[in-house]
Amino acid sequence: MARRRLAGPALAAALALVLTAGQAAACPPPQGWAGAGSIAGELWSAWWRPEPAPIPVGDHFSVRFHLCGPPVGRVQVRGWMPDHRHGMNYRPAVTLNGASGTAEGLLFHMPGRWQLILDVRGAAGREKLVGETVPE
Amino acid sequence: MTARRSGVSAAARPAAWLAGFAIAFSMLPGIAAPSPAFDFTAEEKRRILRHGPWPPASAPDPSNRVSGKPDAIAFGRALFFDARLSLSGAVSCATCHAPDRAWTDGLPRSRGRRTVDRNALSLFNLRFNRWFGWDGAQDTLWAQNLRPLLDRREMGIGPGGAARLVHADRRLSCGYRRAFGEAPGADDERVFVDLGKALASFLETQVTGRTPFDDFRDALARGDAAGQARYPAAARRGLRLFIGRGNCAFCHFGPAFTNGEFADAGVPHFVEPGRVDPGRLGGIRKLRRSPYTLLGAFNDDAQRSTAAKTRYVRLRQSNFGEFRVPGLRNAALTAPYMHAGSLGTLADVVRHYSTIDEDRLHAGGERILRRLDLSARERADLVAFLETLTEKGPRREVATKPADAACR
Ligand code: HEC
Ligand code: HEC
Ligand SMILES: [Cu+2]
Repeated sequence: MARRRLAGPALAAALALVLTAGQAAACPPPQGWAGAGSIAGELWSAWWRPEPAPIPVGDHFSVRFHLCGPPVGRVQVRGWMPDHRHGMNYRPAVTLNGASGTAEGLLFHMPGRWQLILDVRGAAGREKLVGETVPE
Repeated sequence: MTARRSGVSAAARPAAWLAGFAIAFSMLPGIAAPSPAFDFTAEEKRRILRHGPWPPASAPDPSNRVSGKPDAIAFGRALFFDARLSLSGAVSCATCHAPDRAWTDGLPRSRGRRTVDRNALSLFNLRFNRWFGWDGAQDTLWAQNLRPLLDRREMGIGPGGAARLVHADRRLSCGYRRAFGEAPGADDERVFVDLGKALASFLETQVTGRTPFDDFRDALARGDAAGQARYPAAARRGLRLFIGRGNCAFCHFGPAFTNGEFADAGVPHFVEPGRVDPGRLGGIRKLRRSPYTLLGAFNDDAQRSTAAKTRYVRLRQSNFGEFRVPGLRNAALTAPYMHAGSLGTLADVVRHYSTIDEDRLHAGGERILRRLDLSARERADLVAFLETLTEKGPRREVATKPADAACR
């Protein structure tokens, strides 16, 4: 199970030191990613940011992400609305370049709490990283 | 959602509510009854403001090179009322979409040359749609307009017949030339698709006017108490249900009161014994087979800038029995309701939601709709609210004859 949070990078880094014992090594966010979301898992940790930000309800958006941890083989990106138990009506396409990537074609069709889920696979194993967000 | 967050169980809630009420009373000595008006909470206000402003900004459709062009609008209007576009010569678009019936026919299921499976959708606010048809089988307005021309139960003239008509008729050839800047060419399918595009330019102009709800919403945004006070108390209570306990606004979201997507609202989808309407499941399959989509050769936008929905749309078994969430502006004018017109009045629709059978929803485990068990007054309040989504004033005239006499 992944632990997740959305905070400013300084706060996130400080919390990461306190909370991530036994989890993937925290890594600094890529240059210029101030305000990006972070997700810490057992094997990997991720920085992610939507484009446009904030995420609009009912419009397509894309997500850029950067993973820290062992080599990454494959990443799938999904959305999930836990209160209603449904996902998105669109299947995003992911392009991966080393540990970074972009998912295009996401659409959150309802207001409220959504999870942004990265399914990460590599030689080291597979892991579900769950970030939280509320589209505007 | 709100109910879940409050952390008060359903059984405990009435008691807590009563207690709160009692306290509120004890703090108001000398006041016999609570004022019928109330203030919306900050969260409620935020939710209400999302249903406006109206009308929203809009731009021409890049997939249609004549979108917004006055000559194409005039040509599209003429086509809309022209019954020669049907095999029988007796059915026009207006047969099922009558301008004096809010662009519907008032029937549960429409009748063209024969009866079809679904209720005629109204034609307001189409320019804000993501998908078209109850099943979203079309991704543009122009492609949607071709469907009745292809369906033999409706008009059925087809590409060859339509192109022959345009070539043979002086007035239609002239209208085409003005709209597209060139004479109709030899490629029948191209001419046919262009008719869909001219019709789209016309239909894009049909945006509903301002409603009592919009006046209230804008007064709320401005903090104008006098403006808010003009909105009836029953509608206000209905609005609170709509954005709150009713969960309505998750699906009927935003300025047009639809999130543009699909859901199973618990409406039976048998067309006749032994045959069901597959809804969105069939819609996505049709979309993928169609040559008339944003990914096909007839998209006028080389960048494919609006094609993301078509590229990324996802087919799932749970799409079976889902239908498009209809917008609710002017809904009071478009009875009967639901995809096959199975409910006669807005009061019937509200009663349906109030007594919905949660076990019969095919929503693949989705949990939004719940049996609301509304009181008679709450149901009346919701209907009163829905009625305030009707545009004010007399309906605009729609000229049913081509205005352009010079075009011969
Ligand atoms: C036989 C009756 C009939 C005729 C004739 C007809 N329609 Fe329709 N129309 C319908 C029905 C029924 C629907 C809903 C169809 C569905 O979901 O499968 C519909 C849906 C539509 C929609 C989709 C609206 C939305 O919100 O997605 C548009 C646009 C439309 N019609 C335009 C036209 C035009 C333009 C013509 C003439 C070329 C036309 N219709 C002729 C019955 C008709
Ligand atoms: C889960 C999404 C969802 C929720 C929540 C929801 N609706 Fe709907 N609504 C729909 C769908 C889908 C339809 C069309 C269903 C069909 O035709 O099978 C519909 C149809 C309607 C219609 C008929 C419109 C027409 O033109 O036919 C009205 C009115 C309506 N809903 C009002 C409400 C109200 C009031 C609530 C809250 C009590 C509500 N809805 C909650 C999805 C939803
Ligand atoms: Cu939801």
